[in-house]
Amino acid sequence: SIPTSAASHDTEQLQEEQRVRSMLRENFLRCLLSVNNKKVHFHMLEKVNVEATFGSSDIDVLNFQVSDLHTPIGVQKEALIRSRDVISFTFDL
Amino acid sequence: MLCDWLHLGPQEWLQFVNKEVKVKAGNDDELRGWLHTVDPVSASLVLVTFGHQGASVVVLMGHAVRELQVLREADEVTSQRLRTCFLPHRKPRLEP
Repeated sequence: SIPTSAASHDTEQLQEEQRVRSMLRENFLRCLLSVNNKKVHFHMLEKVNVEATFGSSDIDVLNFQVSDLHTPIGVQKEALIRSRDVISFTFDL
Repeated sequence: MLCDWLHLGPQEWLQFVNKEVKVKAGNDDELRGWLHTVDPVSASLVLVTFGHQGASVVVLMGHAVRELQVLREADEVTSQRLRTCFLPHRKPRLEP
């Protein structure tokens, strides 16, 4: 994970940074909640594009758990996708 | 702006929230959308595009960001839509 900026020695500044951090994180987690069980389209490295049903992510956003991953060689019932291999994923609200 | 996106802090990321941005990602991808939030753990961006029916969302991994440009600020209506697009109809109780 990304450390608190080293420049923040001042307690008030640190508290403000933590407030902003928690607000950003909460909004991101709400986005992850809303994508649960939805069809998503993954755009990955090497121009690989695959579709799957989104399950969840681990807390560090290192892996995504998906179901029914449509690969060129067939459908994988359950799979983990490394986020390092992903550029973006798209879904509709 | 060309940026070392992963190493910006929460307050720098916050400056881009609620703005329409154009992001160059990966090798030659270009994405556009309203920036809803940035995950402070992975630096991933949540970009929302509003259509006539609902909205389309792109979650862009922080490691793939090459360049980011702010296009415009959200007006009051867009800000309101951005604030509420991921909220459940009834807020769950988070305290025990």
